[in-house]
Amino acid sequence: MAVRSIRLYPDPILKQVAEAVRVLDETVVAVIQDLVDTMVDSGHSVGVAAPQIGILQRVLVVDVSKSKLGKDNNHGLLEMVNPEIIEKSGSRLMREGCMSVPDYTGNVMRAEHIVVEFTNRAGQLRVIEANGFEAVAIQHELDHLDGRLFLDRVSSLKTDLYRRKK
Amino acid sequence: MNHFALTIVGRDRPGIVSQVTGILFDLGCNIADSSCSILGGQFAMILILGHPEFNHRESFGDAFKPLEEADLTVALRVLKPGGEIHQALEGEICMVSVYGADKPGIVYRVAKVMGENQVNITDLNTKLVGSAERPVYVMILEAVLPAGISEQDVNAWMDPLREQLQVDISVRIIPTVEL
Repeated sequence: MAVRSIRLYPDPILKQVAEAVRVLDETVVAVIQDLVDTMVDSGHSVGVAAPQIGILQRVLVVDVSKSKLGKDNNHGLLEMVNPEIIEKSGSRLMREGCMSVPDYTGNVMRAEHIVVEFTNRAGQLRVIEANGFEAVAIQHELDHLDGRLFLDRVSSLKTDLYRRKK
Repeated sequence: MNHFALTIVGRDRPGIVSQVTGILFDLGCNIADSSCSILGGQFAMILILGHPEFNHRESFGDAFKPLEEADLTVALRVLKPGGEIHQALEGEICMVSVYGADKPGIVYRVAKVMGENQVNITDLNTKLVGSAERPVYVMILEAVLPAGISEQDVNAWMDPLREQLQVDISVRIIPTVEL
C-alpha cells in the first residue's frame, strides 16, 4: 500500500505494451492497491494504469464517481485486471489531459458506450457496460496498457474538415 | 533565448517545408510553436522561433533570400521578451460551428459578438466548400469562456445571427478532463 510517483513522458515505459496478468496473486493485489492509493492521492485523477507507476502489467483503476462529469453515471471504483473492450459504439469528443503528459491537452474522439470485460481484485470475471465519461476514462487508461498516449489519438479539427470534403 | 515570429506564404508545391526548415536549422534556430497549412492554393507557415544569439532582424542577414527567390513571401517579427509565452487561459472551451450559404460578414458578425462579450477566440478556421453554383461557407472556432458565461449564453447571442445571416450555428462545450 503506497502512493507511487507518476511516470512522466518521455519515460520509455509509457510507450511499452504491458503484459497480461497470468496469476492474480498478492503481488497483483498490491499493484491494484498502489494504483488506488496513487489515484486518490492525486486528488483530481479519475484513473491510473500500472505503466504510469512503472509496472508493465495489464492492470488499471478508474473511479469517475467523484467527478462532476461522471458522478451521475458510473460503477464507482473499478479495479480491472486484463481488461478488454469487447464492444464499442457512438463517439464523443473531449479535451483530454494526462498526468503523464503535463501541461498539454488535446481533443480526442472516443467511443461513447463500451462493453468491457475484466477480472476484478477478487479474481472474478466481470463484464460491464460503461457510458460517457466513465467509458472515455476506461479507454484512456486501457491505452496506457498498450503503450499509447492520448497524443497518439489527437485529431485536428482542420484535418477533419479537410478530409470530409473529399 | 530571443524569439521571433516568422510567416511564409506562397503557391503550394512540394519542398517548401523542407527548404524553410533547412535554412532555420542551418541558422541554429529552434522552432517552438508552429502552424502550417494549405489555404486555398497557398501554403502558409507561421512559426515562433528561438535563437540563443540573434536579437534583431539583421541577425538573419540574407538567409531568407533563397525563399524570396523561390517566390515565397517572408515576414519576420521580433518578439519582446516574454512574447513567446502562452498565457494560461482559465475557463471552459467552447466550439462554435457556423455554416450556410456563402455571404459577406459571417466571420465578422460572429467574431464581433464574441469580442464584445470579452470571449477570447483561440482558434478559427474557415473553408469554402460546396459547388461553384452553391458555395457553402463553414467556420469552426474555438473560444475560452470567461467565468460567468455559459454555453446557453453563447447560444443566445447566436440567435439573432442565425436569423439575420440565415446560417446554422451550433455551440458546444468540449469538457476538459484530466485522466
